[in-house]
Amino acid sequence: MMPLERFLIEFLLNFLTRGELNALLRSPQNTATLIGCLIAISGALLGVFLLLRGMSLTSDAISHTVLLGIVVAFLLMTKVFGVAGDTSSPWLILGASLAGVGTVLLTEMLYRSGLVRQDAALGLAFPLLFAIAVILVSRFVDDVHLDEDAVLVGEIGLAWANSNSHCFEHCETVTVTEDHPAAKMTRQCLNCRALGISPRDRRAEFIEVCGNCGDYSPARAWSAGLLEREPALVFFPKSIAVTSIMTLLTLAFVLVFYKELKLSTFDPALAMALGFRPGLMHYALMILVSLVAVGAFDAVGSILVIAFFIIPPAAAYLLTDRLALMLLLSPLIGAAGAYFGYDLARGQLFGFIPIAEGIAAVNRLFGLALIEAWDSSISASMVLMIFILFTLAWVLSPRYGLISTLIRRAIRRRLFEDQVVLAHIHNHQHTAQAATELRVATLHAHFRWTPRKMGRVLARLRALGFISIVAGGALLTERGDGHVHRFRKTMLEAHNMPGVD
Amino acid sequence: MAGRAFPGEDRRVWLIIAAIVLGGALVIPLSQALFGLRFTYTVRVVALGGAILGVLSGALGCFAVLRRESLVGDALSHAALPGVAIAFLLAGRELSPLLIGAGVASWLGLRFVAALLTTTRIKQDTALGIVLASWFAAGIALLAYIQSIPDASQAGLDHFIFGQAAAIIESDVRLVSAVGAVVLLALALFWKEFKLVTFDAEFAGANGFRVGLINALLSTLVVVTIVLGLQLAGVILMVGMLIAPGVAARQWTQKLDQMVILAAVFGAFSGGLGAVISALDSDIPTGPMIIVVAFALVLMSLFLAPGRGLLWSRLRGRANRRRFAARNTLRDLYRYALAHGAAESPVPDAFIRGVGDRSAELGLSQLRGDGHVRLGADGWQLSQSGIDLARRDGRNQALWNVYRLHAHELNLPIVAEERYVDIASRLPAAAIAELERRLPGSAGG
Amino acid sequence: MEHPDRPALSIDDLTVAYQEKPAIWDIDLDVPEGVLMAIVGPNGAGKSTLIKAALNLIPRAAGSVSFSGLPYERARSLVAYVPQRGSVDWDFPTSVLDVVTMGLYGKLGWFRRPGPSERELALGALEQVGLADFAERQISQLSGGQQQRTFLARALVQDAQIYFMDEPFAAVDAVTENAIVNILRQLNQRGKTVLVVHHDLQTVAEYFDWVTLLNVEVIAAGPTSEVFTLENLQKTYGGRVSYLHGGQLMTASAP
Repeated sequence: MMPLERFLIEFLLNFLTRGELNALLRSPQNTATLIGCLIAISGALLGVFLLLRGMSLTSDAISHTVLLGIVVAFLLMTKVFGVAGDTSSPWLILGASLAGVGTVLLTEMLYRSGLVRQDAALGLAFPLLFAIAVILVSRFVDDVHLDEDAVLVGEIGLAWANSNSHCFEHCETVTVTEDHPAAKMTRQCLNCRALGISPRDRRAEFIEVCGNCGDYSPARAWSAGLLEREPALVFFPKSIAVTSIMTLLTLAFVLVFYKELKLSTFDPALAMALGFRPGLMHYALMILVSLVAVGAFDAVGSILVIAFFIIPPAAAYLLTDRLALMLLLSPLIGAAGAYFGYDLARGQLFGFIPIAEGIAAVNRLFGLALIEAWDSSISASMVLMIFILFTLAWVLSPRYGLISTLIRRAIRRRLFEDQVVLAHIHNHQHTAQAATELRVATLHAHFRWTPRKMGRVLARLRALGFISIVAGGALLTERGDGHVHRFRKTMLEAHNMPGVD
Repeated sequence: MAGRAFPGEDRRVWLIIAAIVLGGALVIPLSQALFGLRFTYTVRVVALGGAILGVLSGALGCFAVLRRESLVGDALSHAALPGVAIAFLLAGRELSPLLIGAGVASWLGLRFVAALLTTTRIKQDTALGIVLASWFAAGIALLAYIQSIPDASQAGLDHFIFGQAAAIIESDVRLVSAVGAVVLLALALFWKEFKLVTFDAEFAGANGFRVGLINALLSTLVVVTIVLGLQLAGVILMVGMLIAPGVAARQWTQKLDQMVILAAVFGAFSGGLGAVISALDSDIPTGPMIIVVAFALVLMSLFLAPGRGLLWSRLRGRANRRRFAARNTLRDLYRYALAHGAAESPVPDAFIRGVGDRSAELGLSQLRGDGHVRLGADGWQLSQSGIDLARRDGRNQALWNVYRLHAHELNLPIVAEERYVDIASRLPAAAIAELERRLPGSAGG
Repeated sequence: MEHPDRPALSIDDLTVAYQEKPAIWDIDLDVPEGVLMAIVGPNGAGKSTLIKAALNLIPRAAGSVSFSGLPYERARSLVAYVPQRGSVDWDFPTSVLDVVTMGLYGKLGWFRRPGPSERELALGALEQVGLADFAERQISQLSGGQQQRTFLARALVQDAQIYFMDEPFAAVDAVTENAIVNILRQLNQRGKTVLVVHHDLQTVAEYFDWVTLLNVEVIAAGPTSEVFTLENLQKTYGGRVSYLHGGQLMTASAP
C-alpha cells in the first residue's frame, strides 16, 4: 500500500504544495467526503450490473459473509501471527474477499441442489455467518477499530486520523538506544512480584530499563521531539488508498469488459454461444463486489454498504433505459449522495436547509424540548441522502417517475374508456339488440359504470366527432367507424404475437 | 393404510414435540438438582421471555417460510429501527410506545415497497433492499443524534440493534405474553383461512374468501411478532429467529398444524436457550446467540429428519436403487434363461454384467441375498423362488400395460398407475379377469 | 341440446384490461345450462382472463356477469373452480385429503372447522377421481396427472352447478386424461354446466358439445358441430392452423 500512496502523493504534489495537501487530507470533511464518493462510485458501477442481472441482494449476502472473513482474518493476525490488527491491510482485504466469494458460491450450490430455497438461504445462512462474526467481535476482539459500532456504521468521520505518514525532505530516522541522550531509563524490580514484596524491601533486585528505545520514523521522531529540523511530511489516510484502488479496479473492469458485461447481462445464452464465458463475468463481478465491500468496511461498516450497491443504480434505472447512461448516472447519484450526506450529518440538508429549524418546529408542534443541534452519523447520513435522491428521481423522472406515470395512466385510461365504448357501439349497431344495447340512457348499466362516467365518455366522443346520438341511441359516425377499424387492427395484431399471455 | 407415505409419522412427530416440551420445562429444575446450577430470578425472567417470543416467531414464521417471504421479514425488521428512535424522542423509554413506533415504521416500509412495485419497474428484491438500507440508516442516524443528547436516559436503545436479553424485565414479559396470546388466538381462529390463502389464494378468492383482508391480517400478525421480538433478537437478526424454526420444523413433518406447533417448540427452545446464554455472559449479544442455536436445530433437522433429511433420503435412495437393480437383473436373467432352454438354465456371468454393468452387480448381490439366484459353475442360476418372482413380476407388468391401453374402453375404475405394486391389490377380481383376457397371446386378445 | 331461457352463465359487455391494455374486449356470451363447453384460442387470447374475470378474481373494466340470473356474490355456491395446476406450491405441507377438503371451506364460512362429515365428502370425491388410495399422501409425492385429479376432486366436492376449469388437460398422462373426460361426462349427464379452457384442437369435437372461439373478442360461440369450423378457426388463430379432423389433416393458412 505504501509505495502506491507515495506515488499518489507525488502526483498530487505537482499541483499542490505540501502544506495545502496536508490541510486537504487532515480535514475530516474532505477525507470523509472523498472516501464516501469513492465507495459510492465503485458500488454504484457494480450495482448497475447486479440490478440488471436480478442479483441486487447478492450485495446483501456478500456484505454479511465478508464480515466473518474480516473478523477471522483479524483474529488470525492478532492472535496467531501476533502482528497488529489492521483492517486496511491488503492481505486482510484479499483473504476476507475470497472468503466472502467462497461462501456465496457455496450457498449458490446449496440452493441449486434444491434443499433450501433462495429466500431461505438469504434469510438464514447469511444472518448466521453475520451472527458468528458479531459474537466473535464482541467476545474476542478488543480493538477500537473493530467493535460492534464499527460493524454497524464504520468510522468514516475518523478516517483522516488513521493515516500513514510519508516523508519527503529532511527524513531522518532515529534509533534510540540506552546510551542515547534522549533515552529514558527507569528502574524495574525483578523479583518483587514473584516474592510478593514491595520495592522498598531489602531483598528487592533492580535492573535499568529503557522506556523509549527503538526505531523512530521521521514523523514519530519529530513528534517525540528527537529532531531539530521539521521533516517534510504528508499524512495520508489509509482508507483513501484502499478505496481508490477499489474504484480504479472497478472502473478498469467496467471499461475493459463493457461489451462482455453488457452481452452476458442481457443475453447469457448468446454470450455463451459467442464464446464470452458469462460464468466468468459472474464470478469476476462477485469478486469485485466482495473487494469493494471489504474495502468499504472501515469507512461505512458492513450493513450500510449495501445501500451504495442497491440504491444509486435503482435511481438511475428510473431515469434511463440506456446502459451507458445508467453507468454514468448511477455513480453520479451515489457521489452526490455522499457529498451532501456529510452536510446532512452536520445539520444541513443539501448544504443550505438547516435541520435545527425542523427540530425546533417539531418541538413547538409536540411541546417537546429536543436538542436543536443535529450531529449524527456520517455514513448513515450519506445513505439517507442517497435515498432522498432516489425518492426525487422516483417522483420526478420524466419517463418512469411517479408523476409522469400517474398522468400517463390517466391519459391511457381515458383513451381506453373511449375505445371500449366505441367498440361496443361498433359491435352492436345494425344488430337486432341495437335498440336496447345502445340506448344512451341505459348504456352505463351494461358496463356497470356510473351514469356520470358514461356521460363524460359520451360527451368526449361526441366532441371528437366519433359518435352521434340519433333518437336516444348512439351511432358511430363515419369518422368514428374509421377510428374503430384502425385501433382494432393494431390491437388484434399485437395479440397475435406469439408468447403474449 | 395402503398409500400412506411414512406410516406412523403422525404419532412420531407428536412424540418428538412432547419430548422437547417436557425436556424444556424440566431444564431448570433438573440442572439445579443434578449440577447444582443456580438461576437467578433475572435469568428465569429472561428465559421465560425468550421462550414466549420463540413460540410466537416460530409459529408465525412458518407462514413467512411457506409464502417465501423471508426477505420481507428481513426488510421489515430492519425497517423498525427509526420507529423505535422516533418513539423514544416523542414518548421516552416505555416499551409499549417503542414497539408501536417500530410497528408503524415497518408498516411504512412495507407500503413504500408496495408503492415502488406498483408504480415502477423496480423488482421486489431491489425494492426490499432499498427500504432495508434506508430505513436502517435513518434509524442509525437518529440513534446517533439521541446519543448526542447529554441526558443519559437513552441508555439501552442500541439494544434494539443486536438484541439484549438482560434488558428484559418482568413487565416486558407480561406485555409480550398478553399481546402474544392475542396473536396466537387470532392464528387459531383464522387457521383455515390462513392455510387456504397461503396454499392457493386464487381458489380462495373464487370461493368468496376476502383474500386481501386475510393477507393483510396475516402480515399484521407477522409484523406484531417481529416487533415483539426486536428487544430480544435485535433488528438485524430478527429474521433468523422468524425463519429458522419454521425451516427446521418443515423437515420433520408433512402437515401444517404439526409444522407450526413444532416450529413454536423449536422457537421456544432457541429463544430461551439463546437468551439464557447471553444473560449469563453479558459480552455476547442475544440476537446472534439465538441465531446460532436456531441454526444448529436447522442443521440437525436437515441431516437427521426422517423422510426429507439428507441422511435418510441418501439411505432411501440407495435402497430404491438396489430394489430397482434387483428387479431389472432378475428380468434379464429370466429372459436369457428362457431363450436358452428352460428357466433353470444358467446365465453366463459375462453376459449379465455386460447388460447391466454396475447396476447388475448391485442387483445380483441383492437377489443372491434373498435366495432368488445362485452362482453355479456355468454361471448364474435362478432358484424356484426367483423363477416364481420373475413370472409374477412379468405378468404384473403385462397387466399394467393392458390397463394403460384399455382401461378407458373397458370402463375400468381409475386407479393410480404404480407399476411395481401388485395390480390385484388395486383392482377388483372381475377387472383383473377382464385384463387377463386381453393379455397378448391369450385367447381373447 | 335444450336452450332454456335463463343461461347458466351470461356475460354482458365484459372488458378486462391489464394496465389499460385490453386482454378481453367487449365480450357478450351466453352459456346455456347443461353444456360441456371448450374455450379455445391462441396464446394471449384471454381465455384464463375470461374465467378469472367471471369469478371476480381480477377487476373488470366494464361489463357484468351473472350465473343463472344471479350476480356472483349471490351465486358463489353454484360455482366451482379448478385453477391451473402450476399456480400453487406443491411442496406445501399438506395431504391430498386436506386439499380436497379445502373445497368445502367456502361453505363452512368463517371460524368453523371441517369435521367427519366433510372428511366423508372429500373421500367420496377422491374415490371418483381414482385417488382414494392416496388420501393421506403428501401432495409433493403426486405426479402431474395426480395433482390435476386432486384439484378436480376439490371442485367435485363443492357440488356446484357450473364448473370452470383452467387447462385441466395440460401435460397430463393418458390415464388422467381419460379420468377427466369421464368426470366431465358424468357432470354433463347430471345436468351441470362445465367450461374448460382447452388447448388441444384435436380433441375438441370428441370431448365437448359446445365451443367458444376466443381471441380478445368472441369469434364464435355455439354447438361444436356448427361453430368448430376451419373458417372460424382461421379467424381465431389468424391463419396457420393445422389439426387432425376425423383422421384427416386439415391445414389453413392466412389468405
